[in-house]
Amino acid sequence: MTKPAALNVYKISKHYQDGSRRIDVIADLSFNVAAGESLSIMGPSGSGKSTLLNLLAGLLELDEGDITLALKDQSFSYRAANERSRTALRRQSIGYVYQFFNLVPTLTVLENVRLPARLNHRRDLERHASTLLGEFGLADRLNDFPERLSGGEQQRVAVARALLLKPPLLLADEPTGNLDAENSKHVAELLFSSCREQNISLVLATHSNEVAAMADTRLQLDRPSPS
Amino acid sequence: MIARAILRFLARTPWSTAMALIGMALGVTSIVSVHLVSASISNRLDGLVPSTFASYSHYLHRDELDSADYFALRRLWRAGDLPALKQLAPLVDETSQIDGRSVRVLGTDLLANLPSANANTLVGPFSWNGVWVDESLKDQLSMPINGIIDAPKGTLLADIATAHDLLGWPNNQLSYIGLVLNDPFAGSIEIAEKLLPGFGAGFPSAEPSLDLPPDWQLVSNAEQYPAREFGKSILFNISALGMLALLVAWLLIYQVAVSWLRRIWPVFDRLHVLGVEWQQLRSYFLFSIGLVASLAALLGLAVGWWLAIWLLQISMPRQAVNLSLDSWVIFKAVGSSVAVCLLGGAWAFHRSQRTVSHSTLPISTTLILLVTATWCVLQPQTGLAGGFFAIAVLSLAASQTIAPLLIGLKRWASMIRGSYLMRIGVREALWHPRELSVAIAGLSLAIATAIGVALMVDSFRVDFSQMLDHRLKYDVIAQGDAATLNKIAAKNEVARLYDRKQIYRTTDIRVAGLLMQLDITRMDAFESSRYGYSRNLATNDILVSEQAGRALQLSVGEQLTVAGEVMTVAGLFSAFGDLKPRIIVDQHSPLTTAFGAGLKTKTNNRLQIDSIAFGSDQPDALLTDLRQRFPKLELRLQSDIRRVALDTFDQTFAITTVLITIALLVAAISVYIAVTTMRLNRKTGRQLLNTLGVNRTEQLMMNTALGTGLGLVAIIIALPLGVMFGWILCNVINPRAFGWTIELQLSARALLYACGWGMLAAIAAGILQGGGREEGAFGER
Repeated sequence: MTKPAALNVYKISKHYQDGSRRIDVIADLSFNVAAGESLSIMGPSGSGKSTLLNLLAGLLELDEGDITLALKDQSFSYRAANERSRTALRRQSIGYVYQFFNLVPTLTVLENVRLPARLNHRRDLERHASTLLGEFGLADRLNDFPERLSGGEQQRVAVARALLLKPPLLLADEPTGNLDAENSKHVAELLFSSCREQNISLVLATHSNEVAAMADTRLQLDRPSPS
Repeated sequence: MIARAILRFLARTPWSTAMALIGMALGVTSIVSVHLVSASISNRLDGLVPSTFASYSHYLHRDELDSADYFALRRLWRAGDLPALKQLAPLVDETSQIDGRSVRVLGTDLLANLPSANANTLVGPFSWNGVWVDESLKDQLSMPINGIIDAPKGTLLADIATAHDLLGWPNNQLSYIGLVLNDPFAGSIEIAEKLLPGFGAGFPSAEPSLDLPPDWQLVSNAEQYPAREFGKSILFNISALGMLALLVAWLLIYQVAVSWLRRIWPVFDRLHVLGVEWQQLRSYFLFSIGLVASLAALLGLAVGWWLAIWLLQISMPRQAVNLSLDSWVIFKAVGSSVAVCLLGGAWAFHRSQRTVSHSTLPISTTLILLVTATWCVLQPQTGLAGGFFAIAVLSLAASQTIAPLLIGLKRWASMIRGSYLMRIGVREALWHPRELSVAIAGLSLAIATAIGVALMVDSFRVDFSQMLDHRLKYDVIAQGDAATLNKIAAKNEVARLYDRKQIYRTTDIRVAGLLMQLDITRMDAFESSRYGYSRNLATNDILVSEQAGRALQLSVGEQLTVAGEVMTVAGLFSAFGDLKPRIIVDQHSPLTTAFGAGLKTKTNNRLQIDSIAFGSDQPDALLTDLRQRFPKLELRLQSDIRRVALDTFDQTFAITTVLITIALLVAAISVYIAVTTMRLNRKTGRQLLNTLGVNRTEQLMMNTALGTGLGLVAIIIALPLGVMFGWILCNVINPRAFGWTIELQLSARALLYACGWGMLAAIAAGILQGGGREEGAFGER
């Protein structure tokens, strides 16, 4: 039986203007991701992977189409939302992991992971942050600042932070692109297994076939042609 | 190709490029406006001396001076017996009633010294019997007027023969002789004055060494025109602030150069990887920053000139403001902008290439400088240069402390509690010593300057006010016509209207070779208390002004021999505005007998009644009565004197508020530029928070916390530094420049005011967001 879609992307488009050239980065794209399932996005550089993730995060406005995200008791339509509502959506319902610069340098490891809880006034989750970091093998790094962590450790902290609120949607933009093979595998497994266990929809952009293969569905984007 | 790459990069970030131009222009604006405001006040004070007399450095007085005395002196000079003398001229200076007006008549040898065409405006055909007058007399006199001169109200200048005729004097009578003495420091003082108007007043002129017969009295320009000199002394203190404002502006210009380099560095880095030599890149960088500096200098000159006019108009609304950009201010503005940019830019380029540590001066060098500065503060013989050296070293040491302080505080950053967003903001202030230390140093220096000057002004005002409280115990003071004063002193002419009459006799004497003013009066407990001494002054006791005590190296309890009489120093009193050292004795002192009996005072003056003060319950009635009975007297209500004195004091120092505001504004812009650069370099951090759902209000809160953090770090440095500046101004610079000590009052108002404005400036710099639209979301495609 097919699971109901948690994330519904319907005929979305996004273009950039480069001088007189119009570049349609995303054109008439549609897909669904069910709760607890994962989608990997692949494609060459400039094919619009990051743009798509930024659209899903509500960081960019849609030109055409709509995205809806199923929340606990309602459905959130990106098209109808203003910037303020989209910011609130990111805060409460979306986790995000980048390739670089995932952590706030002026917060300790524990503070970084607790940050979403604090932003959402969820003090009840603060203890959970330490537990999560313990599970990710970072129990002894709680009070360190990010600059003292390795790349792999930093990514694990970022994943822990993205998971803390158990959001319905987790977005990851090449989360293993900056890591060696061993760390890459470790972080990818953490992401996929945690999302599956916690029923979180995962959308992940990657250049790695190994990582992409771990997803339930794959989406291939091509480089757009200027018009 | 390389130039195109750089220009394209700058054109794509127009806001940041504009900010660099604006930031640097603001630095130049502050330099120009502070200079022009100080120069304007200095010129106003110079206006107290008639322009024709301004070139004389000293004056020679003698009892019943006539032309024979002048020619005798001239003969000595021609024979080479007065080598220190460069020039001399006979002068007439007396007040007379002309056309029903009280006019000060100045007579000079116009064959040798015709008023220059630049200094006056011709109003009619030239006549040797004509006169030159100040603007106020232009249409008031019946005689032919040749032109207008810069001089105090009611001044008339004429050829010496015409002056004799106007005064009804014999042809050979003179008032005094004007001298120009050789002064080896004159050139340096003049340059210092041109660069920092008002600065020259604090530097001592060379001690005149004229071997004159004993009955001649040599008087300096300062002694001849005390009001001008007191004003200049206040301006000198303001000028010290101007020097610190200049430092803050330099720091801002340097900060702009550093920020400019930081923005363009990634382009350079890539070009270097492609094989372009660092030397070539540095030339491009220096050319681009030099171009911006030149444009900023032009912009700053125009805005600074406008700002100075506006500031003077609001602080002195009733006076006409006419400012011009002379070559010195242009040199200072363009030199500061271009030189600081190029030197600072080259230094920053060197540091970026080699990633040298934060510290620009080794700790040992800073320590040696600090020890030297302490020695300068403790050793009076190092003079004013020692005091200013100490201020400069303290500023340097404080700016050196910023980066280590930030690094030290960063270690304790995890202890900062409160909201997470606030933590991020405050910690950001500590996190980037390379980007922020120069800007924080500028802000610290601006706050410290504000504290130091406010402490000095407040302390000065308290002391000045106390002095006025002591001195202005009487209600009416009478001066002027000697015969009338003698008449009043001898009889109880108007006893029904006053309850106390105090007669002051005075003369100039020499004590241990130094010219001093001797005051003789009835020194009972009431009178003594005016000088901070609460008992009757014994006949062999003496009160000594602070300047006299310093000149003679006397303290309370020590003995002093005057005219063969051994006197004991009973007390020292402050005497702001006194130009001569002063000693006071009781009317029954042996000195009264000695000088009253005709003992030679070694000066031109006789012991004579200078003034009479009255204590009265009906001061207005007494004033009216005295005016009717004795129209020749100059009569003043003491309450008026106090009000005018304090008004003048406040008005003079009001300009310091404006100058401090400019310094703080410049520092705030410097912090803003540094914060903007930091944000550009770390835009991804902010983007991450945006992704996490931090909204605009929360970002504003974080920026406020960042500004507060910057302000706190700046205040940590500025508080002790500012108190030290205040102490040095009160206890080192003022005593060395003018011979008076100001008791430093640590007023909470001064500290809170400066810190409060400094904090507001830092918060404003943190909150202001510019150019955000230039930066898209990272990883857009």
